[in-house]
Amino acid sequence: MYTAWPLKYKPQSLSEVVGNSLAIAVFKDWVKSWDQGVPKKRAAFLYGPPGIGKTVTVEALANDFHMEFVEKNASDYRTEDAINRFAGLASQYGSLFGGKRLVLLDELDGLTGNSDRGGVRAITEVVKNAQAPVVLISNTAYDPRFATLRKYCLLIEFKKPTTSEVFKHLMRLCQVEGIQADENAVKFIAHRSGGDIRSAVNDLQALAQGKKQLTYEDVSWLGYRDRQDTIFNVVRMALYSRTCAVAKQAVNLADIDIDMLFEWIYENVPAHFNDPRDLANAMDALSMADVYRGKIRATQDWSFMRYVIDYMTAGVAMARQYSKVGWVPFKFPTRIQSLSWSKAERAMQRNIGYKIKPKFHISAKRSLSEVLPFIRIIFKNNTQKAAEIAKWLDLNEEMVNYLAGNEEKAAAITALLAENA
Amino acid sequence: MSFEMWAEKYRPKHLDDMVDQKEIVERLKSFAKARNVPHCIFAGPPGTGKTTAAMCLARDLYDDSYREHLMELNASDERGIDVVRETIKTFARSRSIGEIPFKIMILDEADNMTTDAQQALRRTMEKYTESCRFIMCANYSGKIIEPIQSRCAPFRFSFLPKEEHDKYICKIAQKENVTLLPDGLEAIYEVCGGDMRRAMNTIQSAASMNKPVDSKLIYAVTGHANPMDVQKMLVTAVNGDFLDARKQLRDMLQKYGVPGSDIIRQIHSEIFRTKEIPEPLKIKLVGYVGETDFRLMEGSDDEVQLSALLAKMVQAGYELKH
Repeated sequence: MYTAWPLKYKPQSLSEVVGNSLAIAVFKDWVKSWDQGVPKKRAAFLYGPPGIGKTVTVEALANDFHMEFVEKNASDYRTEDAINRFAGLASQYGSLFGGKRLVLLDELDGLTGNSDRGGVRAITEVVKNAQAPVVLISNTAYDPRFATLRKYCLLIEFKKPTTSEVFKHLMRLCQVEGIQADENAVKFIAHRSGGDIRSAVNDLQALAQGKKQLTYEDVSWLGYRDRQDTIFNVVRMALYSRTCAVAKQAVNLADIDIDMLFEWIYENVPAHFNDPRDLANAMDALSMADVYRGKIRATQDWSFMRYVIDYMTAGVAMARQYSKVGWVPFKFPTRIQSLSWSKAERAMQRNIGYKIKPKFHISAKRSLSEVLPFIRIIFKNNTQKAAEIAKWLDLNEEMVNYLAGNEEKAAAITALLAENA
Repeated sequence: MSFEMWAEKYRPKHLDDMVDQKEIVERLKSFAKARNVPHCIFAGPPGTGKTTAAMCLARDLYDDSYREHLMELNASDERGIDVVRETIKTFARSRSIGEIPFKIMILDEADNMTTDAQQALRRTMEKYTESCRFIMCANYSGKIIEPIQSRCAPFRFSFLPKEEHDKYICKIAQKENVTLLPDGLEAIYEVCGGDMRRAMNTIQSAASMNKPVDSKLIYAVTGHANPMDVQKMLVTAVNGDFLDARKQLRDMLQKYGVPGSDIIRQIHSEIFRTKEIPEPLKIKLVGYVGETDFRLMEGSDDEVQLSALLAKMVQAGYELKH
């Protein structure tokens, strides 16, 4: 029977986990501290590149400590039900059968791809009120969306194991499998993995399973696997490449969606193009990329995406002619943090737009710029008029809260509405 | 409590009530009198009375029962080809009861229909002319495909001239007991440029503060980029500080919610009024503004487009000095 080796040789105990001994020790102490009562940080946030044993560590620990282990996956988070269930699980330390409970939310970054701010917020609530240890796992902890969540978590960074640690692990597997392996061949695999132990084990299996021997010739034909690079390297490529082809590669290497990459580039262009002539050309390329984004939105024809990519990467990189090259730090896109960017907010605006539409003979979309701002002003200034508008437009409580901007005002408006009902 | 936003409350009900657009109104009245209406395109900027004119025409045609003979669809929200094939077709082919043998279909923001949907519409318009007449409202008639244009009588709406605008706004202020100061009235026109919906919304939201309405209140309330602010941003850019200029832009867009199309309009008029910009540069900048205006319409992100324009201004300022 075929079993994937990463699964077959998955550590059953913390002592078998490769590397990250410091991080593991911190994590262990934190879990232990729960026996003395609820600690200050109710969640541990494990972050680091893929394939280096974050999830495995949590599983092994649960095993070692005989804890009831509950895991949820990124794809489930979005539904309210799932979050409620998760909240229920995290609300009790002792499980039904007397054991202790450990709750894991894996692949947290899966949430951010679609900028589901509401989901992160709900998870933050769960963490704040947790009565059992909650473990969050993500490739990055420093996504702006996690800013609030981070405050309530013990951050534990997992680093790539060193090549020699990976090497030792692979050699041990070869021994167990009864394979006579050339050290150089195994070193090559270990080196090639770039610290991703899961992919190293996968590669070893692909090359060596069923063999008695593994030679350097067996492995040398393999090239380096393209590793997903950090966002900084990706942005650097888009801003500094000398050729179009290399700049365009940035999109393939990016671990984030294209809109997000666009934001990163847009944010960093001004600081990295210090000659006004270059800056104008780079910004012009971004403007063209955006024109094609608009085309996609208008026609839903995604084949225009190739031009978006060309302009935002190669177009920007080729703008560099006079700028001096010096070390400038990369910045996170600040624009995203602003409220109007969030998906939840846009959905709310859209729903209000659909209330305005029939009354104003104007599309929901256009009402956002032509009517909504004015309604907002009235809500801010005049509770009586706000209530009248709320009634006229048949706004629900959530919409009133949103437009009022603060709870006090919303309560006053709602009270007026109830009076007149 | 019968409350309406003023833009709705004071929307003209009959063609006779309409302000300005005189020639158009006269022609529409003659349609109503003859009890026959061709397919029409109402083209023009927002807030100039396109939808209002269509609704008035329907009222004048059918009197009180106009709702039974009228369908209003907004192409921005329902622009797919399915809507044309189902909703529109079903309405268009059903026979009308009453003296007038056809119904009226108002297609608002028709320039936002996809080309496919427009192509599909073309057949429907032709086939069911007997039972349904279309009025297509659009900002840009150019975005409506030729074959449809050629089937329609074109009407061009334009922004209200200042006298008409002022007269109407003053009337509303009086009816709603709003103290409107002369500079407030000026500011409304300056900010809204004859877009009546915007003007009505502006004065109503200003009035909600229960203070006399002056220009300061208008600027504050609309959060509209104060002309001076736009000037400051331009000067900052031409003097070479891109990041500062972009920050000012971002404030206008995000903090005050000014639409990009308004900012570009103001930039255009401010360029000529700004002393700090050297004369030879002005016309060059206008070229950039025009290109940006065009891209704003096509693009998806106002800030990206406008900050690209600022970068161009920084460059132009730099080149002039070197």
